Amino acid sequence: MRLIQFQRASGIDDALRAGSAPDTAFLAGGTSLVDLMKLEVLHPARVVDVGRLALTRIDSEGGGLRIGALATNTDVAQNGEVKKKLPALSEALLSGASPQLRNAATVGGNLLQRTRCAYYRDLATACNKRDPGAGCDALQGWTRMHAILGTSDRCIAAHPSDMCVALAALDATVRVRGAAGERDIPFAELHLLPGEHPEREFALAPGELILSVFVPATPQAARSRYLKVRDRASYAFALASCAAALHVEGGRIRAAGLALGGVGTKPWRVPEAEAALVGQAPSAEAFGRAAEIALRGARTRPDNAFKVELARRTAVRALRRAAEAT
Amino acid sequence: MDISDGEFRPICGGVPWVLAFCPGASGSTCPRPSEALLAELRGLGASLAILRPDGGTLLRAGDSPQPLRPAPALWARHGAPPDRATLVVLDGEGQARLCRTLDASADVEWMLLCALRDAARASAPARGVGRRELLVWALAAGVAAAVLDACAGSPRAPEQRGVQTASSDPGLIDVALVINGERRLLRIESRVTLLDALRENLGLTGTKKGCDMGQCGACTVLVDGKRIDSCLALAVQHEGREITTIEGLARGEDLHPMQAAFLEQDAFQCGYCTPGQILSAVALLAEHKGQPLDDDAIREGMSGNLCRCGAYPNIVAAVRGAVGRS
Repeated sequence: MRLIQFQRASGIDDALRAGSAPDTAFLAGGTSLVDLMKLEVLHPARVVDVGRLALTRIDSEGGGLRIGALATNTDVAQNGEVKKKLPALSEALLSGASPQLRNAATVGGNLLQRTRCAYYRDLATACNKRDPGAGCDALQGWTRMHAILGTSDRCIAAHPSDMCVALAALDATVRVRGAAGERDIPFAELHLLPGEHPEREFALAPGELILSVFVPATPQAARSRYLKVRDRASYAFALASCAAALHVEGGRIRAAGLALGGVGTKPWRVPEAEAALVGQAPSAEAFGRAAEIALRGARTRPDNAFKVELARRTAVRALRRAAEAT
Repeated sequence: MDISDGEFRPICGGVPWVLAFCPGASGSTCPRPSEALLAELRGLGASLAILRPDGGTLLRAGDSPQPLRPAPALWARHGAPPDRATLVVLDGEGQARLCRTLDASADVEWMLLCALRDAARASAPARGVGRRELLVWALAAGVAAAVLDACAGSPRAPEQRGVQTASSDPGLIDVALVINGERRLLRIESRVTLLDALRENLGLTGTKKGCDMGQCGACTVLVDGKRIDSCLALAVQHEGREITTIEGLARGEDLHPMQAAFLEQDAFQCGYCTPGQILSAVALLAEHKGQPLDDDAIREGMSGNLCRCGAYPNIVAAVRGAVGRS
């Protein structure tokens, strides 16, 4: 790790002031940033510790829950209101990492979690995300853990977060504050596709700080489920995962949320797949059709071609569980 | 003989020396060395001379402390200034291998007390190691490093300065950690992880470094009762919080019930992951507030701690056996 200038923020304004300096990173739990600083994948000159800011609350607010950016993964996963109103979010968080990491990792940090692409993490390889224009060794590399959706010829790195998949399906909004004031970012707009610029990952202005996430407590959210398929039973990143939320009334799906993980370069939500479910009876056919739509445009490589079928089945099963949820 | 007549000068003859020049101390204020340090010196086969303007104290392996006459030539030879404390390490051939002059504001009496304590702790794991000169030299240098570290954290510094006021060296900050109920003061680079601070700066090597990237759990410690991976946190992040390491579990000779359970169930082979396993298990039980845990819940709850020996069945048995005993 390179030397850093460390500063602990005493308040949000203090954090924003300090965060406005160039080459500055906000530090919350550290599970992602410290890891990547040690690898020297990230090497900010200045680190502003925001970990003690009063942003840990989880409150009911206008038909949903507002979750502070510094609530830990454990705090959120174990919160009674979250379990009741947003079960997929709790399940997603509990399916990720280990208890130790969940105790340290925060919601804000998780939103900005970097890919686990082995080439991104290895300075000896070429990576456009880490070193713009350097090329991408993953394209000809081992791609079992890589994305099949939202890729470009510059980057095929998968988005690693489980929490973000649930938040995408649950139609969350992210509140940030920066020099230009406060704004709310719809979840689908927070993460950027790699395209020509894989190094641009988030729709955040320099120095903007995430304050909270708002998740509407809809009927479908209350019956949402998260299903994760991975190489070992626990403590592994997803090969494929799915957050599914269904509001079924009178034998018909009234509202649906559907997002895939482990397969996209960002949390993969396809509104057309959700629209295809609305008005249908919850059935294997309807779920299969929605899953097909969600996976449209998949571009596979020899190591990850299996993910199309795996993700399709994962989505169908997650939807079935959501339909069965009471 | 080096002290029998005339001015004191260290005669190495294969034995490394640590010379501590303490200009601010006098015979009445110079602290007495702890029994622990004397034991360490015996174990190391090294010698320590605490030198004051009016004399000094010689601590040699196997001897009781001996008074020294003033040795101005020695001060001159090593360039020890009259206003600041200096530490010099001589190798077995009498060559100065390390020379460090301390901050003028250092409180020598406190500094030495700290140094003696920390030196003893830092080298504790070295007991019983062979005495080959190279090894002894390395250990003596370790003692010196611990002395320097301890001296660096002057007693008044942390509260007054806080972490936000960067010292003249942009990389160094004062950090007060509460480890196993004891307040410890450090002056370290801000990039030092909690794991490295425990092992390298405080000599608490019970916490193990496995993968050093949050994937194995060997470095698990408790922070305010919650388990985290200490490799993915900066030490400064946890300033003031209650940190519990494996060294803090037993009460004197009485093992913590989880330690006893691991022994009873033979829940390890090489033992390297064991401190992390035990702390993780202690936290797991606390998280479940004494409620019974089935084996699947234990496996999931312990999934953040890998054991390459594969002692999992016995680890699960140990955790199961400790439920309700803590």
